[in-house]
Amino acid sequence: MTVEVSRIYLLDVATGASIDAELRDGIEQEQLDDWRTKWQPALAVVLQELAGRGVPISQWPQSWHWNWDQKSARVQGLLSYRGLCVVAQGETQGLAQIDLTKSCQESRQAGRPLVYLDYLEVAPWNRREIQRPTRFRGVGTALLSAAVQLSLDEGFKGRLGLHSLPQADDFYRGMGMTDLGPDSNYQGLRYFEMTADHARAFLDEED
Amino acid sequence: MKLQRSREWWLARARREGDAAIGAGMSALDPLPEAKPTGATGMNVEEARIAFGKFVNLMRRRKGLTIEELAKEADLDVSDLLVIEDHIEYTPDPRTIYKLAQTFDVSQQRLMQLAGLVVANDVGFRLEAVRFAARSEAVEKLNVEEASALEAFIGVLSEREPQRSK
Repeated sequence: MTVEVSRIYLLDVATGASIDAELRDGIEQEQLDDWRTKWQPALAVVLQELAGRGVPISQWPQSWHWNWDQKSARVQGLLSYRGLCVVAQGETQGLAQIDLTKSCQESRQAGRPLVYLDYLEVAPWNRREIQRPTRFRGVGTALLSAAVQLSLDEGFKGRLGLHSLPQADDFYRGMGMTDLGPDSNYQGLRYFEMTADHARAFLDEED
Repeated sequence: MKLQRSREWWLARARREGDAAIGAGMSALDPLPEAKPTGATGMNVEEARIAFGKFVNLMRRRKGLTIEELAKEADLDVSDLLVIEDHIEYTPDPRTIYKLAQTFDVSQQRLMQLAGLVVANDVGFRLEAVRFAARSEAVEKLNVEEASALEAFIGVLSEREPQRSK
């Protein structure tokens, strides 16, 4: 499978400069290696610090439900799915996985096919609750934009669904996605859906 | 999938994103801190940890440092270094590895693998680590054999992992 590469730009938080980056419509071995040798150790530092400081679970940045083996196995399995990634300065900055077999739940578009975002994760050094200051801004938005574009390409008119991480709820609401509430099948994560109208506005050329 | 927009379009969206934490799906949840990252599967974790402890011990002595002096130089806790050298069941945290790799001037990734924090994919490295662990004895002064075993292993630790074919 050939990976299509789009030129995108991220914001360097420290300098405010524009950073050249690649949006790629596939996940390859390099990404999994980055996750294993760079993301995981960076995350481990923070997790162990939190545990060592005796910070109560209620104050941790988000729900920490997964153990390393499970998570590692899921990430290493990404090669067999349709994936997206953002690469900048030779390192993977964000990863996403797409499922094209699901249907909409929102009443106005219920039953129609959509792009379901099975997984979206941004590198630890771009996450404020992990590292301050963060390195790059715009990685998560780029992956969402790519997922919406993929939905257009598939003839799904930009319709998009996802289960949000708790600390991301406000962002998805802010970008106009419909909040369909917590889903007990997904550890209580809230399910959000983007309608065709919202998708059009979201990917609008004008700014 | 191609997505072409101007630099301004992307930067405006990056600014709008601000400090928002964006993530989706159960796989994006972070793992529990009690569950340590997967150890060096494939390599016997104990063997790797023995090699790691011995490596720290020999490198410290080669520099002629006491544990206290090394702790000061690497900005680490004395208690951490003590358990690293003597207790193979102890898994050091990534910051400790980072500081040691800097102090000894070897590859951080390799040292991570040796400490069992991440997985080494090449068989050669595992064999070298085991051989090193077997050859070095903990004695007061470095003898000639220990010194040469250490030199050879520093070479291995400084190499990068070979690129895997796709």
